[in-house]
Amino acid sequence: MLQGVMSQGAFDAVVSTHHAEILRYLRRAIGAAGDAEDLSQETFVRAYRAYESLPKDANVRAWLFAIATNLTKNHFRSEARRRRAYGEVQATMRETTGGAPEAEVVSRETGALVDGIIQTLPLKQRLAFMQRKLHGMEYEAIGYSLGCSAESARAHVFQALRKIRHGLDGYGRLPGSQGDE
Amino acid sequence: MNDKPVACVRIADDLLAAAIGEASPQAGRRVERHLTACGSCRREFEEYHALDQTVVALREEVLPKAEVSEARDRLETRLADLRQRLLAYRVFPSPLGHILIAQSELGITAIEYLERGTSLKASRLNDEPNVELVEGGDKLEAAYRDLLEYLTGRRRRFEWPLDLRLARSAFQRSILQATAAIPYGAVVSYAGLAQEVGRASAARAVAQALRWNPLPIVIPCHRVIGVSGALTGYAGNKLGLKQRLLSVEGVPTTRAAGALGIQSDAMYVLYPGDREYCLPTCPSLDRREPVPLTRFASREHAEAVGFAPCTACRPDLHPISR
Repeated sequence: MLQGVMSQGAFDAVVSTHHAEILRYLRRAIGAAGDAEDLSQETFVRAYRAYESLPKDANVRAWLFAIATNLTKNHFRSEARRRRAYGEVQATMRETTGGAPEAEVVSRETGALVDGIIQTLPLKQRLAFMQRKLHGMEYEAIGYSLGCSAESARAHVFQALRKIRHGLDGYGRLPGSQGDE
Repeated sequence: MNDKPVACVRIADDLLAAAIGEASPQAGRRVERHLTACGSCRREFEEYHALDQTVVALREEVLPKAEVSEARDRLETRLADLRQRLLAYRVFPSPLGHILIAQSELGITAIEYLERGTSLKASRLNDEPNVELVEGGDKLEAAYRDLLEYLTGRRRRFEWPLDLRLARSAFQRSILQATAAIPYGAVVSYAGLAQEVGRASAARAVAQALRWNPLPIVIPCHRVIGVSGALTGYAGNKLGLKQRLLSVEGVPTTRAAGALGIQSDAMYVLYPGDREYCLPTCPSLDRREPVPLTRFASREHAEAVGFAPCTACRPDLHPISR
């Protein structure tokens, strides 16, 4: 006998649990280069289509991140788009760093700066970094979403951190070095 | 980085891992030891640690509530629209060839004998407007198992919710619903079914409506036959299939003058509206207005759905012998 036909209620729960986070992920993943909401809709539409055939013990969150990550990669596959995004980020960073920073806003501005540098990272590093540091995903899941091993995923994250540190260094804004020297 | 001492280069990965809290205990101790001796690595460690704290702050960031809930609403609208169109399908091998089973969120929506292949490509559902097909999961397998049980005579009822969305018209829907109510091991004629839905003169329209049955077997159009007892059409030209399904249910068929038909004289009959079933020779039938009858393959089939033996012809005392 059939129990409840399609996993209707179950998918509603998937949406209510993960929608805000996927939207937030895509917002940063896409940056100013596109419509994150569009891609988050697409993520859940694809997920809904495939949900029936998803193994019961699947990690739904990692699976959604993988779909969103794939859509992001497709989105940036067009090199022109990628360059446009990059250009916009560079412009924002110049704005962010213009003018003398007041002491009390330093930390917030450093956050914005980090954010800006994140946007300039190569895509895989950026997505790996975001999944790890902004969403707390396991390296295993990050590798799955990027089509690489957990070790490579970790290497991407470390590489990203190094670049961010060097980036901040370039702006004389390494938080750890403030006041020490 | 190249001018760094070898020891610093070696420990760089562990240092970074330790600074962001991801180092193993051993690596952590190694880094600790190194940092007590190396000032530049200590600074680097602190920088990474501080950077990690800054990033943690980004992690706490939330999108504006209104923005999220509006986006959520738009997503729900799109999903609702998709739900209307989405059917999950799977193709299974069966003794009758490959069978495609599809379901919507409301119920089993289509069963199709695939004639021209073994995959979705061979399905007529591809031509259905407003239908989007996706590969389905385990639940369809449960339906398939039920079908196999039916085909091997181990199941008489399907307890599935059905979704008649593929019905072409309200009339066809009513015919499909009436057909679904025909009991296992029984047959009625197109004319009888027409009478059942209050359209006594519409036997031809009934036959037409059953030519496209989106749910064969489950909606047992094989139990609907010509008024003469001839099997007539089934799923295009698959009369043999119709005969096979009927014989699974114990309905006796015969080939007379080249045409397949049921053996009317070997089946019990039920007058519309009666609670008692009769022998085909029951004298009470002669006294009543001649109308299309429901015929049962056996007493057991008739009694299984609540009918009692007629007290005049006593089919219980004089069962038909085949």
